[in-house]
Amino acid sequence: MNRSATVRAAIAFLALLPIVVIAVVVGLSLGAGELSLGNALRGIEPDATVLFRLRVPRVILAAIVGAGLSVAGVALQALLRNPLADPFVFGLSGGAAIGAAVSVAASGTVLGAASVSFAGWVGVLPTQLAAVVGALAAALLVFTLGRTRGRLHPERALLVGVVFNSFASALVIALEAVLAPEKTQAVLLWLAGTLGYEPGPVLIAAAVVVFAAALILTALAGRLNLLALGDEGAAALGVDVEWTRLISFFAASAAVGAAVALTGLVGFVGLVVPHAVRLVAGPDHRVVLPASALGGAAFLVLADAIARLLFRGLGTEPPVGAVTALLGAPLFVLLLRRRT
Amino acid sequence: MRARATIAALAVSLPAAAITRQHLGPPVPAQVRRIVTLAPSLSEIVLALGAGDRLVGVTRFDDDPRVAKLPRVGGYNDPEPETVLGLHPDLILAQPAPENRGPVETLARLGVPVEAFALDDLKQIQDVIVQIGTLLGLGERGQALRADLVTQRARMRVKAEGGPHPRVLLVFGLDPLVVAGSAGFAGELLRDVGAVNAASDSDRPFPRLSVEAAVRAQPDVVVVCGFDPPAGRAVIPGLPRVRVERLRSTALLHPGPRLVEGLDDLFVAVHGKRAP
Repeated sequence: MNRSATVRAAIAFLALLPIVVIAVVVGLSLGAGELSLGNALRGIEPDATVLFRLRVPRVILAAIVGAGLSVAGVALQALLRNPLADPFVFGLSGGAAIGAAVSVAASGTVLGAASVSFAGWVGVLPTQLAAVVGALAAALLVFTLGRTRGRLHPERALLVGVVFNSFASALVIALEAVLAPEKTQAVLLWLAGTLGYEPGPVLIAAAVVVFAAALILTALAGRLNLLALGDEGAAALGVDVEWTRLISFFAASAAVGAAVALTGLVGFVGLVVPHAVRLVAGPDHRVVLPASALGGAAFLVLADAIARLLFRGLGTEPPVGAVTALLGAPLFVLLLRRRT
Repeated sequence: MRARATIAALAVSLPAAAITRQHLGPPVPAQVRRIVTLAPSLSEIVLALGAGDRLVGVTRFDDDPRVAKLPRVGGYNDPEPETVLGLHPDLILAQPAPENRGPVETLARLGVPVEAFALDDLKQIQDVIVQIGTLLGLGERGQALRADLVTQRARMRVKAEGGPHPRVLLVFGLDPLVVAGSAGFAGELLRDVGAVNAASDSDRPFPRLSVEAAVRAQPDVVVVCGFDPPAGRAVIPGLPRVRVERLRSTALLHPGPRLVEGLDDLFVAVHGKRAP
């Protein structure tokens, strides 16, 4: 890393760290009622349970998922040389949706019972497991169909991904017709992207996956920079284009898989955060990748706090995916207008 | 699992169901011989009135063994007009909901009398039993069924009077968390068995609750209805030690004569023993 990149990375970190800290404090202090920190620390209920068993794990989950989706977004935008690429572009959202819908439809059958016991053994819910399997299968399919003669064609892969996602949503809609209403509701809620409450070991596992993915992608950041020159240009400068693509593709997919398993499809994080970071920090992936991880974490933690606050008087909350889309769509347009 | 759908459908339909009774299409004949019901509770009312032999079609959610052999005409939200017409009914009993409005109105336009009844709270349910009895020429039987429900509720209130009065969260679904609010029949039955509804802040019949709001409600007992609690996890995160009870049957999901049974189930779940 040359000096200017180091300096810019340091500046980005110094700017983003306080934002993350503020987001975490806001995330911990907002929710379905007033929380007294003193009461919580002294173990007085329900404040202690609300803070330590609900809000802390949820803020951690939001941070992990936000970071994972953002680094995956950066990587896929670089890989496909397309600013509109988001973490779900490789058919991941469609595959995950099919997996989740099939698992919900199968609950109560022999297959459902088998998946429940297997998922229980792994420590996750059957829907989560099915979603990850579906997402990874779809990613592999799109990756394979996007290749000809041993080479990945970004445009082709992108188109296959878009078409696959449309196909998948049609399949899910068809499947919903035969599902009981409350099962449909569960699938819809999941598709919208919802932050729940995961047990500690699951959070640790997800953090490890996302951290490893971010680390691998940051290590490849220099090569991702050169991919912007086009395959031939990058190859001429000594980049093993195919290998770089393959590794970063799997690293990004692992991060998205973890996010999808825990929260369903939270949209716009992987699109808006990388663009916002590039606007401030420039296009160098050695800066953009770690900065996006921090920015994504802060963004989703804040979006979740807003979700909890939105209908607080009614004791309920909308799925966080609705909030990220409501915030993300106008923000994205704003960013586009700033860039041009 | 099927029965759980009742509550999901109710939860969706309730905000729009300001009308308690609605007649559509031509007048109901004096002698009703062929009935199609578009909700399991309505089938159960007809059965309890002793007119099960007049049922010719029910929904795919009907699970009463006495209607097991009858043709299915779709669900509450998506009744199939073609199938219903093919059964030549002279009366359709429906529950008003925004989702089934299209097909139900179509059936009325095509010349089948439709009677739609809201089954949201106990007063409505008790009235509907009498009203359907009158429609079928079984007014006395309807009055008797209504009296039975009223008596059972009064008996339960007397048994529960001396306490204890635990705080109860009556849960119908986890994704999203749907509970019994203070309005609606489930909330009323909770009061009948002497429980304090932990979700009584909400004046909606089947509110969606955030997990944090559920934890803040500090229930003594979580009663789940119509589904198995997830294995190896707390039903409500943050409440790992709360007593969780599963209702013995899904009777509580059937707003009709089966609520008598539902009331017993609820008493056992809340107090850990049968009503003396």
